[in-house]
Amino acid sequence: MTESMILMAEEAAERTFTIDGPLKSITFEFLGKEWVVAESVVTQWLVMVILAVVFFILGRNLKLKPEGRRQVIAEWIVGFFTGYVETSMGQKYKRGYGPYIGALFCFIILSCLMGLFGLRNPTSDVSVTASWGIITFVLVLYTKIKTGGFKGYMKSFIEPMPFMLPFNIIGDFANPIAQALRLFGNNVSGMVIGGLVYFALGSFAILVPAVLSLYFDLFSAVIQSYIFVTLTMSYVAMADMEE
Amino acid sequence: MGITLSAGETLQLVNINTDTIIFTLINTLIIFLIYRFFLHKPVMKILDERKEKIAGEMKAAEDAQAEAEAMKQEYSDKLKESREEAAQIVSAAVKRAGERENQILAEAQQEAAELKKKAEESIELEKKKAINEIKDQISDIVIMASEKVCEKEISKSDNEALINKFIAEVGNE
Repeated sequence: MTESMILMAEEAAERTFTIDGPLKSITFEFLGKEWVVAESVVTQWLVMVILAVVFFILGRNLKLKPEGRRQVIAEWIVGFFTGYVETSMGQKYKRGYGPYIGALFCFIILSCLMGLFGLRNPTSDVSVTASWGIITFVLVLYTKIKTGGFKGYMKSFIEPMPFMLPFNIIGDFANPIAQALRLFGNNVSGMVIGGLVYFALGSFAILVPAVLSLYFDLFSAVIQSYIFVTLTMSYVAMADMEE
Repeated sequence: MGITLSAGETLQLVNINTDTIIFTLINTLIIFLIYRFFLHKPVMKILDERKEKIAGEMKAAEDAQAEAEAMKQEYSDKLKESREEAAQIVSAAVKRAGERENQILAEAQQEAAELKKKAEESIELEKKKAINEIKDQISDIVIMASEKVCEKEISKSDNEALINKFIAEVGNE
């Protein structure tokens, strides 16, 4: 090795590779506990403010006879999600799950888009995707008990054969965990790869990080959001014991 | 959460933070409620109202069409009825006229027959009267003539016998 190469390696080791965004985490005390608001949560708040404004503007002052593009877009969004829920879960879930799926999809997709603006993508935090996995778990549990009763829910563990008991128990937990990890893994890997490429290119970081960011933050994000909500719907629909 | 990849530091990429989970759940709930109340509900309300309105309008249109069909049927029935009635009236009139014609004809025939009968009777009567008159006149003439010719008085009974015989002969010819 030449001396210059060693120097470069030392220089690289001194530079720190960080994937933290520009927003900082906040710490505050409440109910006698110290709460840490992670950067991913601060980004979520930003996403929420944007979504709240967009939803409020879209849903305001609708006419029976559509006037303007705003109402067409609003109707298209709501119609798309209720229609999607109806086709994948059936007529009876249309009203209840339409808003949740729509809100979740918009939340995830806009969170991913935050990566395009250099902010920390909330879905690259496993705690965030785990929260949505927990919601799915609760919804599945609720649907099973509601449609099959507590007895039916207990019985479902030994179906179709009693020896399936451990697999069924694992399955109940594995589905939401896998769902959460899939979204997290895809986004965090995109973020790490993008960050590493950016870091490795140093001052030559033109075009390549942008293309990678477009792929990971836009294309992959849309697909992963879609897969996430689709999985949520199919897990809940499968939990319905009446069908 | 500082994630650094410097040498010697632990990778904190996959750590579960309960605070973050709690905040994310709250945030998701808030976004759900905002979506539901600001976008989903108003749009669904409008869509339902539109659906109802369209259904109502379609039903009204169907009702109107059904009504129009019924009215058309009614009118065509009425038209048919009145045509039948007109035809009936005409045929009745024709029938009545025919009856009247026959009646008039029959009456006329009867009257003519009566007149003819009466005429025949009166002719017969006149004929008999004339014959009787002629008989009387002839008998008087014959009596006068025979008185003149014979200048002699024949007994009246003889005379009448002779005359009757003559008349019978005349009547036979």
